Amino acid sequence: MELLVSILVLGATHALLAAGIVIVYKASRIVNFAHGELAIVGAYVFYSAGLITHGQSLLLTVLATAAISALFGVAIYVALMRRLVGQPTFVAAMVTIGLAIILKAAIVVFWQSKSVGINLTRQTLYSFPSGGRLTSVDVITIGCCIVFFAALFAFFRHTRLGRQFRGAAENPLLASQRQVNVNLILALAWATAVFSATLAGVLFGSRSMLSPQSTIIGLSGLTAALVGGLDSLRGAVIGGMLVAAATYLTARLIDPALSEAVPFAILLTVMIWRPWGIYGTPEELNRV
Amino acid sequence: MFSGTPYLRVSYAETNRILPEPYQRVLVAAIAVAAIVLPAFGNAYLIYLLNLTFLAIIGSIGLNLLTGYCGQVSLGHASFLAIGAFVTAILANRYGAPVWQALPAACLVGAAVGFVVGLPALRFRGIYLAITTLAMHYAIIFILTTYQANFGSSATAGISVPAPALGPYEINGGRAWYYALLLISSGVVLFSLNLSRGYIGRAWVAIRDRDIAAASVGIPVARFKLLAFVCSATLAALAGGLGAYFMGVVTVEAYTLELAIIYLAMIIVGGMGSTAGAVLGAIFMTLLPFGIERAFEALPHAWRLGTTSYGLQEAATGVAIILFLLFEPKGLIEIYRRIAEYFERWPFRYRELQPAERR
Amino acid sequence: MSPPMARSSPLLEVRQLEVVYNHVATAVQGVSLEVADRQIVAMIGTNGAGKTTTLRAISGFLPAEDVAITDGTISFDKRPLAGRLPHDISRRGVVLVPERSKLFDTLTVQENLHFNVTRRRREIRDKVFDYFPRLGERTSQTAGLLSGGEKQMLAIGMSLVCEPKLLLVDELSLGLAPIVTEEIMGILQNINRQLGLAMLIVEQNAAAALRVASFGYVLEGGRVVFKGPCAQLMEHQDIKEFYLGGAEGKTRSYRDLRQYARKRRWWG
Repeated sequence: MELLVSILVLGATHALLAAGIVIVYKASRIVNFAHGELAIVGAYVFYSAGLITHGQSLLLTVLATAAISALFGVAIYVALMRRLVGQPTFVAAMVTIGLAIILKAAIVVFWQSKSVGINLTRQTLYSFPSGGRLTSVDVITIGCCIVFFAALFAFFRHTRLGRQFRGAAENPLLASQRQVNVNLILALAWATAVFSATLAGVLFGSRSMLSPQSTIIGLSGLTAALVGGLDSLRGAVIGGMLVAAATYLTARLIDPALSEAVPFAILLTVMIWRPWGIYGTPEELNRV
Repeated sequence: MFSGTPYLRVSYAETNRILPEPYQRVLVAAIAVAAIVLPAFGNAYLIYLLNLTFLAIIGSIGLNLLTGYCGQVSLGHASFLAIGAFVTAILANRYGAPVWQALPAACLVGAAVGFVVGLPALRFRGIYLAITTLAMHYAIIFILTTYQANFGSSATAGISVPAPALGPYEINGGRAWYYALLLISSGVVLFSLNLSRGYIGRAWVAIRDRDIAAASVGIPVARFKLLAFVCSATLAALAGGLGAYFMGVVTVEAYTLELAIIYLAMIIVGGMGSTAGAVLGAIFMTLLPFGIERAFEALPHAWRLGTTSYGLQEAATGVAIILFLLFEPKGLIEIYRRIAEYFERWPFRYRELQPAERR
Repeated sequence: MSPPMARSSPLLEVRQLEVVYNHVATAVQGVSLEVADRQIVAMIGTNGAGKTTTLRAISGFLPAEDVAITDGTISFDKRPLAGRLPHDISRRGVVLVPERSKLFDTLTVQENLHFNVTRRRREIRDKVFDYFPRLGERTSQTAGLLSGGEKQMLAIGMSLVCEPKLLLVDELSLGLAPIVTEEIMGILQNINRQLGLAMLIVEQNAAAALRVASFGYVLEGGRVVFKGPCAQLMEHQDIKEFYLGGAEGKTRSYRDLRQYARKRRWWG
C-alpha cells in the first residue's frame, strides 16, 4: 500500500511532465528539451512568489505563478518557435536546448543556485504500519494530476477548441483554411505545456529540495512521454506511472545509486523494443 | 564552398578542387603562415586558448561529418570524447602505454563504440535518433562514472595522464602542443575535405537530403550511416585522447550533456555540412566564453558578483545558439559566402525578386 | 470574348498576378481573373500550368513555403487579400477545398464536420447531410478510412460549414471515378443554385468543369490563354483538341502541339 502511494505520487509528477512534452509535440512535432528546466524555474518562481506574498495568501501565489507560467509559454512561442516555421523540427529542438541552457543560467543569476524547498502544508494524514506516511502534499499531488488530466481529456474530446487543436496538430495547413488561427492554437499549446511543467515542478519542489541539478527531472518526463508514445496523452499517464514504478522499485529493492540510471535504461529499452511507445502511432517515427 | 561563382569551370576536376579560386589559395596560405609564426608573438594564455580551439576543431569536424554531412543528429558526442579520453588515460596511466599506442587504441575503441551507437540510426531518423543517442550518452557516462569511482584512491580527482613522449621528445609546454595540435587538426581538416568531396561525402549528403531516394540510386544507406558514426566517433575519440594528454587529467564530470550540446552548437553556428564552417564554429564557440569573461571584467564592479556573472556567461552560450538558429541558420560560413560572393561578382550584383508587399 | 458579367464589380478580382518560387521559378505570370457573385467559374489547364499556385495565392498560402507574390493584386469584396493570413482569408469567406490532405484523417466524420460548428452554424451542418446523405451513415467513422468520393464530399461539407461566400475547389476529380466526379459536380451545381454560392473550380478534367461552370479560363505556362463563356469554350477548336479530346480531322503531331503552346504564350 505504501509502495503504491509512493509510486502514484512520483508517477503523477512524471505524468504531468510528460503531458507538457506530449502537448507541444502533438501540436508542433517539436520535442521540448527544456521541459525539466521550465519545471524547475517554474518552481523557483512559485517559491519567490511565496516570499513576496509572505506566505500569507497561497491562492494569490498559485494564481500569480499560473499566470506567469502561461504567459511565459506564450512568450516562448511568439519570440522563438513561431519564427522557425518552415525549418526542420530538429532546429526547433536545438532552440529548446538553447532555451534550456538559458533557463538553467537564470536559476544561477536570479536565485544564486540556492537550494530551496517549497512549503505547502505538510501534514501527516495517515501513517502506514510499515513506517511510511501519507502526507497532504501527496494527496495534493495526486489530486492535481487527476484534475489536470481530466480537464485536458474533456477539453480535447468535447470542446470546439479541443477539436480544432487536434485538427491543427494533424494538419495545420488545413486547419488554417478552416478558419482556425493556428498561431493561437500553438501559443495555447505552449502555455499549457509550461503551466503543466510548472505544476510538476512545484509539486516536485514541495517534496524535495530544488537546485539547478533538479532539472534532470526533464529526462524522466521525456522518458515517460516516450514510453507512453510521444503523441499520446493517455500514454503520458501510463508512461509516467511505469517510469515511476521502475525508478522507485530499483531504489527500494536493488540500489538507490542505480535508480539514477533507470530513466535512460528504460529509454534505451523502449527505443529498441517499441520506439513509438505504448499508445503512440508508428507512423510518427517518419514524421520528424 | 560552392558559391555562385561567375568563373567558368570547364571540367569536373576543376569544380572538385579543394580551393577552386586563386584568392582562396592566397587566403589559406596567409592563414598557414600566420598560424606558424604566431607562437613567436602570442603570450602563453593565447596559445593555451588556441590549443583548446584545435582540440575543439578536431571534435567539431567529427560531429560535422555525422550531423552536417550525413544528417544524423547526435547528442552523444560528449560520450565519444569521454571514451577517447578514458581509454587513453587508462592505457597511459595503468599500463604505461606510449602515446603512439594509446591514441590509436583510443580511436579504435571510439570507432567500435561509434558503430554500436550508430546501430539505432538504421531504424530512426531525426529527433528519435537524437533521443536514442541521448540515452546512449547517459549510459556511457554512467559506466565511466562507476569506473572512475572504483578507480582507486584518487576517485574524485580523476585519472592522471603523463605527458606524451615520442621517442626522446616529450610534448610539454604550450608551444610544443601548439605545433602538434596544429599539425593534427590540419590533417583532420584535410581528411574531412577529402571525404566530403568524394564518393563517401556525396553519399552522405544524399542520405541527409532523402535517405529513401539515396537508397534508390544504389547507395548502401545502412553501411554509410554506420560509416558516418564510426568516422565521427573516431575523430571524437582522437580529440578526447589528445585532450586527456593536454589536460594531464581525465574526469568524467567534464563530459556532460552540455559539452555535446556545445559541439552541436559549434557546427550550427559555423554552418552545417561545411568543413570550414565546423572550423569557424569551433573557434567561435571556444573563444566565446573567454570573450564574455573579458567583457565582464570590463564592466563596472557591481556586475561582477561571482555567481551572477558565471550564470550570465552560461546564458550567453544559449543566447548565441538561439540567435544563430533564428537569424543565420546557415551559420558563419554563410556570412563568409555572402562576402566572397560580393567580391567575386564585383562590380556586378544581382538582386533577388522581392515579394510585392515589401517593395 | 466578353467580360464575365455586366455587373460593376466582381466578388473576386485577380489582376496581373505573378508568383515566384524560391526567388527564381515563375509559376504564374500575369494571370487576371474574375468571379462574380453567384457564379461558377472554371479554371482549366494541364499539370504545371499554374492553376494550383493561383489558388494558393488567393487563399494566402504562399509565404510559408518560400513562394512570393511578386506582382499583381487580389481583391475580394473590394478588399485586398494579398498579405493576409490564411485563417483570416477563410474567415472573410474565401474557403478552399484543397487538392490533397483535405480532411483531418484521425478525426471522425462527425468531428471533422463539427470542426468549427458554432450554435449559429448547426443549420448549415444539417444541410450538409441533406446534400450528402452518404455522410450521415458514417458519422462515427474515422475520416481517413472513407472512400475517395466520400472524402471529397466531407471536405466540401466541411467548407460549407465555414459559411463561405466563395468556394475554391482544387482538382476535385483527382483520383475519383468519372461517375463520382460527375455526381459531386452535380451537387456543387445544386449548391450553387440553392445557396447562391460563388465557386472557382480548378480542374484538369476540363469536360467535367466546363459542364457545370458558366465562365471559364484556360491556363498554360502560367498565363491565361483563353477565356470565355463555357459554351463558347467547349466549341473552340483548340480546346476541343487539347482538353476535351475527340477533335475532328487529322491528329496533329507532337511538334504541332509544341508550336501551338508557344504561339499562345507569346501572342495569346
